[in-house]
Amino acid sequence: MKNSLRNHREQTGESQADLAAAVGVSRQSINAIERERYDPSLELAFKLAAHYDCRIEELFDPELDN
Amino acid sequence: MTESATSTTDWFTRRRRYKRLMYGSLVAGIVGLFIGSYLDQFLAGVVVYWAGFFGMLGVWQFSPVDLYDERDTALERKASDYTLGVFAFVLVLGAPGGIALEESGVATLPPAFSGAMWALVAVYAVFSVIYTVLRRRS
Repeated sequence: MKNSLRNHREQTGESQADLAAAVGVSRQSINAIERERYDPSLELAFKLAAHYDCRIEELFDPELDN
Repeated sequence: MTESATSTTDWFTRRRRYKRLMYGSLVAGIVGLFIGSYLDQFLAGVVVYWAGFFGMLGVWQFSPVDLYDERDTALERKASDYTLGVFAFVLVLGAPGGIALEESGVATLPPAFSGAMWALVAVYAVFSVIYTVLRRRS
């Protein structure tokens, strides 16, 4: 799934490790999400959105056909 | 170092420490088993091995930090899926193929072959039961 996680993270000057620790996952998981190789669970997506104080849709783009 | 960086480091350090403790417990158990076997104290070795194994389970279950995250779980699930798929092919093609070879007199298969096939049948039987229970509960 397309996402702008890297942009959000870089805007705040956080490292992947900082973000990983903040939402309780490994740094590798954050890296996999940013590279769009892993789609996070709804729970993790909400945590990421809450961390950046934004809506999930601002972080993730499901690219729906309709 | 900033406060945030310190807490990040702390979190990763604790996670690493508990993971090392978990794997260390298992490795200590396995080493104990080999030493016990080498010293002709196999029973003591098995007790140490079990202690190591249950120590690993204890650290995994009661660690104050999550040792695995959802991506680890997803990867494990995918790997299990592929493994079951590979062995499904082995069972579906191998079992009748083995019987055909035996019946036609082309080859005599060792008893281990039918043992392996029955072991696979048992794996899929357990899988079916667990899948059915999970499906009814969901």
